[in-house]
Amino acid sequence: MTTEFVFATAQYDSGDWDSAPLVPANIIDTIARYTEINVAPTGVIAPLSDPRMLRYPFLYLTGHLPVRFSDAERRNVRQFVDRGGLLFIDDHNHDIDGVFHKTATEEIARTVAPLAELPNDHPLYSSFFKFDGPPTTSHELNGWGDNLVHKHLLAVQRRGRIAVLFSSKDYSSEWNYHPDSKRFLSVDNTRFAVNLVVYALTA
Amino acid sequence: MRSLRRRFEVGCRVVAFALIGWLIGTSIFPAPRRVVERASSSDVLARLPSWTRTPSSAALHATLDAAPSPLGVAWLAALRHAGHVVTWNGAPPASIAVAEPVIAPSGGVRVNVAAPANSRLILADVAGTIDSTRVTRDGLGAGFTVPLSLDSLSLHVDRQPLTVARPNDVAPRAVLVVGDAGWEAKFVAGALEERGWKVVTRFAVAPGVDVRATEQPRIDTASLAAIIAIDSSVGTLGAAVQRFVEQGGGLVLAGSSAGARSVSALAPGSVGPRIRRNVAATDTIGLGTTGYFPVAAVREDAIALERRGSGVTVAARRVGTGRVLQVGYDDSWRWRMAGASGSEAAHREWWSRVVSSVAYAPATLEGEPKIFDAPVVALFGRLGPPRPAPVTSRGGVDSRLLLAIILALLLVEWTSRRLRGLR
Repeated sequence: MTTEFVFATAQYDSGDWDSAPLVPANIIDTIARYTEINVAPTGVIAPLSDPRMLRYPFLYLTGHLPVRFSDAERRNVRQFVDRGGLLFIDDHNHDIDGVFHKTATEEIARTVAPLAELPNDHPLYSSFFKFDGPPTTSHELNGWGDNLVHKHLLAVQRRGRIAVLFSSKDYSSEWNYHPDSKRFLSVDNTRFAVNLVVYALTA
Repeated sequence: MRSLRRRFEVGCRVVAFALIGWLIGTSIFPAPRRVVERASSSDVLARLPSWTRTPSSAALHATLDAAPSPLGVAWLAALRHAGHVVTWNGAPPASIAVAEPVIAPSGGVRVNVAAPANSRLILADVAGTIDSTRVTRDGLGAGFTVPLSLDSLSLHVDRQPLTVARPNDVAPRAVLVVGDAGWEAKFVAGALEERGWKVVTRFAVAPGVDVRATEQPRIDTASLAAIIAIDSSVGTLGAAVQRFVEQGGGLVLAGSSAGARSVSALAPGSVGPRIRRNVAATDTIGLGTTGYFPVAAVREDAIALERRGSGVTVAARRVGTGRVLQVGYDDSWRWRMAGASGSEAAHREWWSRVVSSVAYAPATLEGEPKIFDAPVVALFGRLGPPRPAPVTSRGGVDSRLLLAIILALLLVEWTSRRLRGLR
């Protein structure tokens, strides 16, 4: 048996890192539902300022408020990326003029490297389910936030692999519900999360 | 009394005439005169040209604390064939050196040396000394890994020189990493890719769903150097793995994968219950810090390569012409991700060495450079076992001494007769 996959939510000193508290359980449910990946039944919270965050090679970071890493957070995030981790950042505002987008992208540029558009034929979109690009969210289509449908995700790549993935799609709102509620959906809107995790575990 | 004296006089005369006769005989038929030429390790090569010019009746003897170069041994053997008595004695250190290419993208040469305990080993190439070590008191030799060498490598075991050619580089074939989708499989494959290996992956994600490279290689030594099994999903490859190993392919059975039915017969041992360790929040994560599957019941034809406490963590075994390595660690990725400074590079290096130690290498081709040297074996083979030096023969007693003895005998005999009043 392989060591289990633990869904870890990044905790940072600035902002509201816990703005989507139901996402971890929902993603864990999705992973268990579609795959044989040995997934831990509960997620963990990994403070970015603590080097123990390196024990979780997949980190989910979200929020609405400005993101400013402390020196310790910046040092750990840099090391996390250098060693092969994947940091998935989702803008809970869905607003490219919002403070989260501005500050988080600046912070990633300062800490790791500037983000660039990820092509929609990237292996991420076919690592399990097939997508033509990042799936849209109801928040995009309802005109919330910046009233835009973002055609691409942004990413920093290292050695041909995604090291930091940045989404303005607001998956944090889209996936922030109790897993039992999936039965009310005609198409499970968390399927892209399977691609994220499978990509992180195999690329 | 008189009779006794007369007998003495007759005896002196008989002996004197016998000696005269012997002198005459040896002047007509001279006895062969044998000269023994001697040399030591330090000057034997310098003496060979002059020995070649000596008559074949001369015996040649070398006292050696180191076997001469192949040229010197061949020259001595030629002198023996030319009629010289060639002998040697002494105790040159029994040693053998073998060079083999490191099967890894970075290349390099591995030199293994068998040498007596406590002997000092110095490795050099034309550019100078590369490394040195001393064989331990109960050791059988030592090994050197040289990333880059210029031309041939020379080695000294104490005063014994050995020379091995730089073997031809071998471009390693691909490595197949098979496992369930997980951090260990991902980071093992990643580490090998970062070290320059061509890696092909096959990760099981869901029933009937693999994430795999678009071009899957055939399971044979024409395509693959090694297979790394991360877990029991290696069983999906079936009997192909056994065939591959018997052909000479390498197999690494990590974690609990040795328990898979299709490979358990190949494994150096069985899989023991996982040893779990309590890791404190402040602990630095290293290889095996969080536990491992010990190699239990190590087979008689397998060898334990690494132990941790009372448990074997790495064991190896030959199967056919291939090699199988059982590695008990199932979460080395933690070492890479959460280890101390430099752990990422150490993780890469460790896995590359693991694969390199079993990776398939094509058989040596004709025309390969001479990659081994065993000078003492060559010495025994060409000149036979050590023997004491032949006794010097001068062709008889010095004739001047004999002449003096004859004169003395005749003088004694004449004096005796005169004292008796005879002429």
